[in-house]
Order: sequence, then structure tokens, then C-alpha cells
Amino acid sequence: MKFGAFQKPSAKETPPGLTRHSSGFDQFCATLRNSENLSILDMSGASQANISFITGFGHRISSDDIIGTMEQCFGEDFFESQQAASTSQRFLEQALTFPDAFFDGVLAWDALQFLTSPVLEDIVAQLLRVIRPGGLILTFFNADDKAKRIPVYNYRVHDSKTLLAVPRGGYQRAQYFNNRSIEKLFEQAASLKFFLTRDHLREVIVRR
Amino acid sequence: MWSKRKEDELPQRQDRPAPAFSPSAPAAEPQRREINTMSSPSRTFDPEPSRSVGSATLGKNVTVKGQIFAREDLTIDGEVEGTVECHEHRLTIGPNARVQAGLKAREIIIQGSIQGNVDAVDKIDIKKEAKLVGDIKTSRIVIEDGAYFKGSIDISKASAAKPAQTAPSTSSATSSQSSQSSQGTATPVSAGTPAGTAVSR
Repeated sequence: MKFGAFQKPSAKETPPGLTRHSSGFDQFCATLRNSENLSILDMSGASQANISFITGFGHRISSDDIIGTMEQCFGEDFFESQQAASTSQRFLEQALTFPDAFFDGVLAWDALQFLTSPVLEDIVAQLLRVIRPGGLILTFFNADDKAKRIPVYNYRVHDSKTLLAVPRGGYQRAQYFNNRSIEKLFEQAASLKFFLTRDHLREVIVRR
Repeated sequence: MWSKRKEDELPQRQDRPAPAFSPSAPAAEPQRREINTMSSPSRTFDPEPSRSVGSATLGKNVTVKGQIFAREDLTIDGEVEGTVECHEHRLTIGPNARVQAGLKAREIIIQGSIQGNVDAVDKIDIKKEAKLVGDIKTSRIVIEDGAYFKGSIDISKASAAKPAQTAPSTSSATSSQSSQSSQGTATPVSAGTPAGTAVSR
């Protein structure tokens, strides 16, 4: 199998879903609870759980499955295709095609860690463009520096502190993100807050 | 002979309940017909009761460009480009459908591919095989895992406003104005008006 090739989950290795506590999402929810008529972007594809949860607060939700767009644009040569100008341009034209300052919050989940430079920086710039000043981005990075394969999940909201991670495959690791590299990635943002979880996930709240 | 026949016929007619209500018989007739069709064997097997009102279907080999207005339930399984409106009725986008149109209906069920904004007063049901690129405005939404959706979802409070509209004394000035000028007003009002007409039915 080629480096970075997408591996679909087999029935053996993938449980139906993992329930995990998320301090980062809890922090994100504090904003949802304390505000009205927010516009939230969910980058994990459309799901009933997330739609019901967000709209239950009276907010508006938008959906853009960025990993689905990655798979569509980059195909099997996942990381190699990101280096090709034509495919990366096609991806950037399809992802995050929203007006400036359109959202108050973005649930980016773990999508960013599967992008490589320079597409990664371009997408982060797009994220900061579509979010209003003061708005929040919740994003996850795998914190296991020894892991060779990074699982991909669809995140479904169970409650304000608990997420259901539904496996949708995995990729070989392209790069490792530590606190410093994440700070550098979001250097244009106003602030960052890190939560390191027991299951080797670095949760980050980025405030524009 | 003739008089006997008339006598034989009369008791048969009297057995029917209609003569007892003879002054209002013409008005009551349509109701009886509806009841008969509902209780007929062919209708009882229909899984969707609203279809008894009437429904239309655009087959998978049909292509329509333009505006579609339906006053009954509508199923689209072909290609449509333009706008589709079936206020107060159900719109079903079949699995073979490819729609590039704005959709408005009381209830919308999506199985096929849509590119356009979708406005359902009551409910939107997006099945797992569906692909929808566009913004949604509705009171309730059901989306199956696996459905492709790109756009925004705006949950309108039309259903919450229903009880207020049916109540006689609440917000009298504004509600009466909006119900009288139903078609000439802005979108949020027109989204609420079908609910009002549905109540009257």
C-alpha cells in the first residue's frame, strides 16, 4: 500500500463508535449556551445528532464534510496529490466556500491533521476568513508521536461533554503536531487553549 | 303491476339513511364519497394516507425545465431545473432524481440529488442515499447517517407559531393581516400561512 493511502475500516478492527469525554467541546458548548442565534459550521459531515444538538440551542448549523472533499479530490495518492497544484487547487475551490466572517464557531474536529503544507496553511487561512472575530474553532490533533496510522472519525455529539467517534478509516501519519507547531499554524489567531486527553488527542480551542 | 313495483322500490330507498337528511343531501354527498374511498379495499393498503388526496409523479425519464406548481403530493424521479412548489403537500425526490431547483413544500422527502435551496414548512427527511447541496429552512429535520449535505440548516419557528395563529385572541392585528395577505408577503410569513390553511381544512 502506498504511503498515505486511505484505508477503509474493516468490520474486525472498527467498533461501531467510541464514546469519549471532550473538555474542548465542553468549552465550546459554553459559548453555545451563553449566546443566541449563532452560526456554527460542522466539518464532520451531516448528522442528526449534531444538527439536533446545535439547533436545540436555537443556533443555525452549516455542514461541510471536508474529509469527504479531501477523499474526493486527492483520491488514493492522498498526500502526494496534495502536493500537486491542480488537485490542491481543486480542493481549495471546493472547501470552505463561504462568505467572510460567516460563522461564530467552527467544529473542525480532526480534519486538519490530514493536510500537508501548503494546503494546510491555505485551509487554516480560509478557516480564519470565514469565522467572525472572537469566534471559536474546535480542532483535534493526534498526540501519539509513536502512532504510524492515524484513525479518521466522524464526531457525533452525545451531550455537551461527550462525543461519539465513529470510525471512517485512517491514514498513515504525514506529520506530527505538537503545541508549538499548532501555535505556529494559528499564529494569526487571538488565542489558543490546549486540552491533552488520556486517549492521545490534543484538543485545541482557537479564538480568532 | 306498476303500483306494486313502486311499492317494492320505496322500502329499499327508505332503508338508506339519506332521505332522513334529504335537505342537506347535496352538501353531504362529497363527504360520503371520501369516506367510501378511504374504506375501499384498494386504499386501505396504501401506506401513506395523504396519497388518498391525490399525487403526481414525474418519472425517471422525464426532464422538466421551468416552474412546477403542484396542488397535490408530488414525486419527482426525473430531472428538474427551475423551481418546484407544492405548498401544503408532500414533495418526494426519488432516488433517480437530479434536481437543480429551489423546492418549497409542506413536507419534503429526499432520496436523490438536489442542488438548490429547500424550504419545508413542516419537515424535511433526508435519506442516506441523498445528496443535497443548498440551504435548508424547515421546522423539523431528519437526516440519516451517510447522506451528503453541504449547506446550512435554519430551523424556523413556524410550527411553534401554529397554536398562536389558531387561537382567536392572540396577536390579533398582525396575525389577521398576515393571513389575509398570504401570497404577497415575505418568505417567513408565507412559510407560516400554509399551516393556517391546513388548520382550516
